[in-house]
Amino acid sequence: MVPVKYYLLLSAAVFCIGLYGLLTRENALLFLMSVELMLNAANINFIAFSLQWGNLTGQVFSLFLMALAAAEVAVGIGIILVLYRNFKEINVTVPRSMRW
Amino acid sequence: MVTKPQFAENANFSNGLAAVALFVVFAAIFLTTTFPEPAGFPQDASLVAGIGYAMFDLTGQSPVPTEGFLAAFEMVDIVLVGALVAAVMLASHESDRVKGMVTALTDGGSPTRAATEEHRSASSRAMPGDGEDGVADQSADEGGEQ
Repeated sequence: MVPVKYYLLLSAAVFCIGLYGLLTRENALLFLMSVELMLNAANINFIAFSLQWGNLTGQVFSLFLMALAAAEVAVGIGIILVLYRNFKEINVTVPRSMRW
Repeated sequence: MVTKPQFAENANFSNGLAAVALFVVFAAIFLTTTFPEPAGFPQDASLVAGIGYAMFDLTGQSPVPTEGFLAAFEMVDIVLVGALVAAVMLASHESDRVKGMVTALTDGGSPTRAATEEHRSASSRAMPGDGEDGVADQSADEGGEQ
């Protein structure tokens, strides 16, 4: 059985790749993808510790996290659509004020 | 045409060093920490069935230890419906927000025949020197107000 620390290492790598995307890019779609990577890193942690303690709670949590990630993507893509409609680009540094 | 992925040259690579440093810290911590041997799951236990029982609070029937998540299941259900409605509202134009919902339900969101004909006639009336965007926006607004 693979020791849990290697799962944690994989999770840290996925999380840091997502963080790297957030810190280096300005495209809203890439932001969304980076946040998904970070969420999936949390999923890996949940499942790794589910295996570690022999309890299914972590796996159920990861299932809920996937559903919440889907909801987040739906709203995120809607926001990106509005961003493109108003500014004709999806660079997140361009909008500087909230309008309604 | 689909192009090959290209290396981004306008990215702030210096900011990314923070992520690399964080990974180094994580790796140092995880590789030096000792964890007990994983408990694992019984070989003949169905984990999928266990997850299903956990989501409906039937923890007594689950072959693997777990907790009940019926309330969380229902909350996620409501959140998903809210996200769906929010996505449709954000994606619809402000001018035809009320009508847009109905259009999305009836014909998949594609322009109706009357709106298409109106757009074509407006485009044919436009002078070559005029901006096409202005004409398209005008026709879209007219279609939304009907």
